[in-house]
Amino acid sequence: MVMKSIKDQTYYEILEVSPTATSKEIQRAYEHAKETFHADSMAVYSLFSEKEVKEIQEAIEAAYGVLMDEASRRSYDQTHSQTAGGQPPEKPSETQVAPRERKTSLSFTGLSFNAEVEHYRGRELKQVREKMGIELQTVSKETKISLKILESLEEEEFEKLPALVYLKGFLKSYAQSLGLDPQKVTEDYLQLMGEAKKK
Amino acid sequence: MIWTIGGGKGGSGKSFITANMGICLSRLGIRVVLIDADLGGANLHTFLGISPPALSLSDFIKKRVSHLHEVLIPTAIPNLQLLSGAQDLLNAADAKSVQKRKLVRSIQSLESDTILVDLGAGNSTSVLDFFLMSDGGILVVTPEPTSIENTYRFLKSAFYRRLKQSVSSSSVKALIDEALDQKNEMGIRTPHDLVKAAMRMDEGDAQRIIEEAGTFHPNLILNQVRSKKDIEIGFSIRSACLKYFGIHLHYLGYVVYDQDVSNSIRRRRPLVLENSRSRAAQCVTEIASKLADSH
Repeated sequence: MVMKSIKDQTYYEILEVSPTATSKEIQRAYEHAKETFHADSMAVYSLFSEKEVKEIQEAIEAAYGVLMDEASRRSYDQTHSQTAGGQPPEKPSETQVAPRERKTSLSFTGLSFNAEVEHYRGRELKQVREKMGIELQTVSKETKISLKILESLEEEEFEKLPALVYLKGFLKSYAQSLGLDPQKVTEDYLQLMGEAKKK
Repeated sequence: MIWTIGGGKGGSGKSFITANMGICLSRLGIRVVLIDADLGGANLHTFLGISPPALSLSDFIKKRVSHLHEVLIPTAIPNLQLLSGAQDLLNAADAKSVQKRKLVRSIQSLESDTILVDLGAGNSTSVLDFFLMSDGGILVVTPEPTSIENTYRFLKSAFYRRLKQSVSSSSVKALIDEALDQKNEMGIRTPHDLVKAAMRMDEGDAQRIIEEAGTFHPNLILNQVRSKKDIEIGFSIRSACLKYFGIHLHYLGYVVYDQDVSNSIRRRRPLVLENSRSRAAQCVTEIASKLADSH
């Protein structure tokens, strides 16, 4: 049943993810939810009042805060075991669609969601990675980027980074490993780097 | 399989998409009938590059012909036929629901694998009923506030009409009518509020409303997208509908903004025939192949 007020929805329903969602999926869902329910979003202004949007925004933040923290999520799942932990979700996730929807669903390959307010610099990338509970070594193994380069990326040690042509590839791979939009991450990071060099 | 293409504002590209999707499906070997039900401006024939047809649905309604298939117009494209005469269709349908059902039955009995009905803009009861009677309703929206706003209005009207048809108690039916007015005195803002109010009147009907919401899955096509951000608006509309209506909108796909579209319309040559490699044609083709998969 999805016809619930925002107050009655579980954190999983608020973010439209399955109770078994990985931190990467939660991160992506959170960014999409933020994008959808930001104050100027043309997708919501004619359906929801400003007050309702604010209430949803708060619920999104609360859901994200709990679900991205392993201990909080475990505790939440235990107290909401009827809907969150043990049982399958009553809806939201993309995997739970009607049979025809599943057959006709388009693959939006390569598309991920941007949080408009965020700019992905080294610090933000590190924060996202840590919230997901992913070790830098894991990223290194997955992307084949050396640990030292990844550390320099996160610490914004621009002088230690490789030539631009390689850097773009590394940023893209790193973003993909975190489930972020590679284009946005690359653009944001290179912009920051350009600004830093000017100084 | 009957698909109805409606919702949104006039000019959002419903007829363009209907005509070109129809061609794509027919080229896959699927027998397709296109029905022009655009009350305001029936001109699907122009999108197909043919002159205003001599035969139309009015010949069937006025009993100048005995069977609907007699007014089908063949096109130069194999497997593709056109049924014109929208104004008669909708005016007659407005008159009597019995007649409307008869029309739907006649349409359903046409020898065809897929029927695409171009409903045009507007929220009249006939347009809503045709939208609801189909196997799949498709909303065509452009990534602009006005288009999205109109689409929500259409969706709400269609959804509430469907709810009204599903409940049995007259008091709940009246409640649904009242709820359609955004400034209703009962303070019903959302379908969730409606369920709560219905629960106090008739628990069975309230349950039926919840069940209807669970089975109502309209489709969405986003047209004239210019950026990746525009594409994402489709996902945002889907999320907004889930939070507000409690319904699962299926984002069928998007069509990019492409100058080749208006060039093809001016030349009265369907884009997928005129320039099948254009970006917009590829998008339409991809969506059509998803529809074909649902057969």
